[in-house]
Amino acid sequence: MSYTLQFGQVTDYIPYLIGGAWISLQIAFLAFCGGMIIGTLGAMAKTFGGRIVSGLTNAYVAFFMNTPQLVQIFFIYFALPDAGILLTSYEAVLIGMTLNAGAYLTEIQRAGFQSVHRNEMEAAETLGMSLLQRVRYVVLPHIARVLFPPLSNQYILMTLGTSMAAIFGVEELTGRAFNINAETFRSIEVFSITAIIYIALTLCATFMLGLFGRYLFRAKMRLL
Amino acid sequence: MFKKLMQTVIAAFAMVVVLSPIAVEARTLDEILSSKKLVVGVNPTLPPLGNYNEKNEIVGFDVDLSQKLADMLGVELEVIKVGSPDRIPFVATGKIDYVMGAMTRNPERAKIIDFTVPAHTEVFGVLTTEGKSYATYKDLDSADVQLVQVRGTTPLKFIKENVSKAKVLLLDNYPDAVRALAQGRGDAMIDVIDFVGEHMNKHKDTKWKVVDAPVNVYFCALGVAKGNSSLRDWLNVALFELHRDGFIDTTWKKWFGIDMLYSVSPSPYF
Repeated sequence: MSYTLQFGQVTDYIPYLIGGAWISLQIAFLAFCGGMIIGTLGAMAKTFGGRIVSGLTNAYVAFFMNTPQLVQIFFIYFALPDAGILLTSYEAVLIGMTLNAGAYLTEIQRAGFQSVHRNEMEAAETLGMSLLQRVRYVVLPHIARVLFPPLSNQYILMTLGTSMAAIFGVEELTGRAFNINAETFRSIEVFSITAIIYIALTLCATFMLGLFGRYLFRAKMRLL
Repeated sequence: MFKKLMQTVIAAFAMVVVLSPIAVEARTLDEILSSKKLVVGVNPTLPPLGNYNEKNEIVGFDVDLSQKLADMLGVELEVIKVGSPDRIPFVATGKIDYVMGAMTRNPERAKIIDFTVPAHTEVFGVLTTEGKSYATYKDLDSADVQLVQVRGTTPLKFIKENVSKAKVLLLDNYPDAVRALAQGRGDAMIDVIDFVGEHMNKHKDTKWKVVDAPVNVYFCALGVAKGNSSLRDWLNVALFELHRDGFIDTTWKKWFGIDMLYSVSPSPYF
């Protein structure tokens, strides 16, 4: 292949790409936080809830884990306006990713919730702790360490998953890479720089999460 | 040994003869009539002008118009697939009798090939919905205008240079962009409006409006080889008749789903 790499035409756009990476990070972080709240509530509902509550949670998890995220966001972005709900691109992507993450994080945390010994829960109950207190003081400290690695994996997957926001007009990293590609036709250069930024994003996230897990939960995390 | 060498030499010579560019003259009208075949270049990547159908045949407005012209001549039609970079060399070397595919007349092209009278137009303009009071594209150059465009298309350059104050929502493809406009996600779209007609028709409740003053109108004609006046003169007369009897307008509506936005007013003098 005789192709001359011309990074010079693309390097001017690097700040523009990094601006996009910042938006990608924002979406991933906000969706992950929202997803954690839904996930914790979902895991509580599945473990301690009655038949109806856990049935509803199961239905939610089954629906969001067995349909593609792209289809879910497509529905929120293009189908809801026909019902009078018009969300901006950013809102639609954020809500879609949060609901999707909520389902996966429910499943991850449910496994943790069920790993807590029945005796410990009964002991807490005997001490007169409410359900929320039991989750806060018994379950979460117990499972944080075990669940930290799968949760940080999910976070990394979500950072990469933000690339589909480009389809809905959010100018994040991938969207901006497409724009530059259409302007300069320097596809190899544009997408290799974009790939490097993504790698940097996820490596930084892995490293930070590793440090966080080591010192906060004494989790045995590999740093890189 | 010698025999083998001779064989190689002969084979090499044969290759040179076959592969060497043969100077081909464009076919005159007489030659087309006597060969009983009209050879036309159509670009199959420009629906609805040209596109492959499920049987892998090229169909579209360009094919229907060419079929009509072949019928008028009383000859068979042969459609040859051409692309944007090779279509002018195809006509210039006589591989095809004329070329179509949104062939906008312009002085650069007219140095190399000859053009007939316009076959159709294309309006590069502003698509919006009723109730918006834009009179020209210049009214869009304001921070409270939200444009909806398709990522990676040529109008983006025009927007950057001329209506840079407007906000732009970039979507992935034309159906999505037109739907977003119909759902009220934006105020307007700048593009070649004729080509989004089929997507506009899918949103029956939306009252579409094309801003009266177009940004530009492209006149698209049939391109024939330089100096092939016998063919061009006949095509001019035929196109004049097809404009006048409504064949071109009807065929346009059949393929594009909307009337030609800027109709060609056929002039009898050319």
